[in-house]
Amino acid sequence: MKRGQRFKIYMVILLIIIPVFLSGCWDSKELNKLSIVSGLGWDIDPDTGEVTLTYQSIIPNEIKSSSSGSGGGEQKGGNPLRTIQLDQDTGSSSYDVLNRYTQHGSRIPFYQHTQVYVFGKDGVQRGIYPFLDTQARNPVARPNVLMVVSEKKASDILGIQDGMENIQAFGMASEIKLSATFTKYPAVTVLEFQKRLMSQTTAPIAPMVGIFEETGPEGKKTQKIRITGTAVFKGDKMIGQLNERESSGLLWGINKIKIGFVMLPEASLEIVTAKSKIVPELQGDQIKITIEIDEESNLIEYKGHQDMTSDILQELEKDQAKEIESQVMAAVEKSFSLDADVFGFGEAVHRKYKKEWQDLKPRWDEIYPDIEVVVKVKTHLNEIGDINKALIKD
Amino acid sequence: MFLEKGKISNFQLSVLIVGFVFGSSVIISPGGGAGHDGWIAVAIGLMEGLLIAWIFTALAKQFKDKTIIEINSLIYGKILGKCISVLFIWYLFHLGALVLTNYMHFFNLQIYPATPKTVELLLLMLVCASTVGRGIEVLARLSIILVPLTTLLIISDTFLLIPHIDLSNLMPILDVPIGKLLLASHGAASFPFAETAAFLMVLAFVDKPEKGPSAVFRGLLIAGFILIIVVARNAAVLGQMAEITIYPTYLAAQVIDIGDILTRLEVVVGINLITMGFIKISVLFYGTVLGLAQILNLRSYRPIILPVGILMVILALTNVGNTLEMFEFATKGYPVYAVPFQIGIPLLTLGIAKLRKIPPKGEGNI
Repeated sequence: MKRGQRFKIYMVILLIIIPVFLSGCWDSKELNKLSIVSGLGWDIDPDTGEVTLTYQSIIPNEIKSSSSGSGGGEQKGGNPLRTIQLDQDTGSSSYDVLNRYTQHGSRIPFYQHTQVYVFGKDGVQRGIYPFLDTQARNPVARPNVLMVVSEKKASDILGIQDGMENIQAFGMASEIKLSATFTKYPAVTVLEFQKRLMSQTTAPIAPMVGIFEETGPEGKKTQKIRITGTAVFKGDKMIGQLNERESSGLLWGINKIKIGFVMLPEASLEIVTAKSKIVPELQGDQIKITIEIDEESNLIEYKGHQDMTSDILQELEKDQAKEIESQVMAAVEKSFSLDADVFGFGEAVHRKYKKEWQDLKPRWDEIYPDIEVVVKVKTHLNEIGDINKALIKD
Repeated sequence: MFLEKGKISNFQLSVLIVGFVFGSSVIISPGGGAGHDGWIAVAIGLMEGLLIAWIFTALAKQFKDKTIIEINSLIYGKILGKCISVLFIWYLFHLGALVLTNYMHFFNLQIYPATPKTVELLLLMLVCASTVGRGIEVLARLSIILVPLTTLLIISDTFLLIPHIDLSNLMPILDVPIGKLLLASHGAASFPFAETAAFLMVLAFVDKPEKGPSAVFRGLLIAGFILIIVVARNAAVLGQMAEITIYPTYLAAQVIDIGDILTRLEVVVGINLITMGFIKISVLFYGTVLGLAQILNLRSYRPIILPVGILMVILALTNVGNTLEMFEFATKGYPVYAVPFQIGIPLLTLGIAKLRKIPPKGEGNI
């Protein structure tokens, strides 16, 4: 046999042998041995301090049938609750719970596809540091999972059918992301929460969800999930919440405006682009913060019967600026009363006055409510829509 | 002595240097301890690294086709020269083991928690051993493929992270006390820039030795520039999390999310570590076996590849007990420990060579 030929035979043998080892024995994860956790609920008993974890796991077979089985009317839309399974256990910490879960669970929880962490309000008021520690420490926990505070128990929220997605937690995540896109409530990932927590002066935030009853067309009542506010933390403990208006004021202040609407008594405006900047100024011992907002919008709804004139547009621009300012100020006032620096004014001062900050940082809690805040809004109306005259006049 | 017949071009040397500097710094950000000013620390460290590189390249240029082992024998005489050479070889060997340790702990924590460490190390070691056995030329040609690929991956990771970059995380500039910053800078110089002193074993095989220094500088500058961007990017994406997390680059890659489709790219960072760690370990491994062969006057270094490789794996398995010890050593011990090898030996040798006028003028090649 020639050398080249023998070499070829060796190579073929090698190619057959290599895959045997490539399959991996130690770290292989088989899909049918995992319970893919889509959402995780975290409750604390306020009296005993015991942790209750709710695992919302995906049942892969059900997803297949509900997405491809469009055969009959009864299958339409699928039932999100049939694609998930809820498991619950109680223990002294998250891993104590997992430890107990292994006594009755059949599969290992797999966290790589987790969409949301839901925290029960009672537990959050007690502090979530133990949970955050496991999050940061554990290599399988991902940094971009959304954090949500629930008004009721977290386990209740995870069982409610919601959204158009097949899996409940995915639906909830899309809901939160949509509200953030429309500048209503913030969408906060674990990483963003950690960043705010670590700055020590900036207060962490998270959206809050509640359950409400929707009355359908035939009087059929269904439970749905709705985002109801923004939870404000001090350290790892929740101390208060912002309502709808204050939440969007907060988003305006921290430059998280994407699209959305500004509602005026006489018109509705659609935000096209918006930017905001926090400019601190130190005058002796007094801190002055200017929030500069630059906004462009389109007119999308007008309730009056007048023809459009530039006077009306100027009026609308002014009213809009006033409305935005009042939203931001509402959030500012609320944060003063909670003494929680949700806007990150402290960090803004730190960035500009690093020497003075060493002195200010330890007593930031005392200084914070005395800060003078000015909101400067510049608005511009881009488009007025397809018509420039009213359909019918007064 | 003809232990190595291969020659590498100056371009290949530059690329090899880039790969070597990337090494384990693709997962562990240099400049730790300087907070969000880490990138400044890396920049200062790069300058210190260039200064150190100037010393050892000047030495290599003076003795065109000689490795540090042969230079030592010329300068200090046979016995003392060999003693100093043994010290230098120890450094290469130890550094190789440290890189293996980094590799092992990273994979054990993040990617293969259940796989035995020995298996992880042996698999990598076998590849390195096979490359080293084929000489420096093969390694240099391989680096031409791997290094640009890794650079591309690092740069594309950075681009994909642009939506998450918040430059205000880098402000205020120079927030740390100057002493702390300089300490972090020295840390960044000793790991990874000045580690290129290991190339004293390789520079002898460059085909245009008079242009060797500029090739080294070019490699250092390119790698340093990319590392500065990576460190700044990590701080801008992760904020203060970058300071407390052990593998910031890996965490930053986990953040990448382009339209819910391009996600979970962190394993790319692991791949970068495999390829660049391979290059760094191979260069150090090559230096160790070649140096040993020269000290012991062997006719070939091939017979000692496997024994040295096994010893390196054993040292990697035993030198630190856990990741914490590894980091304590890397941040506190290593910047001091490395100084005699990175600066001391080359500077002393160069000084004595100048004083004793070795090699005499006109006799470039002894």
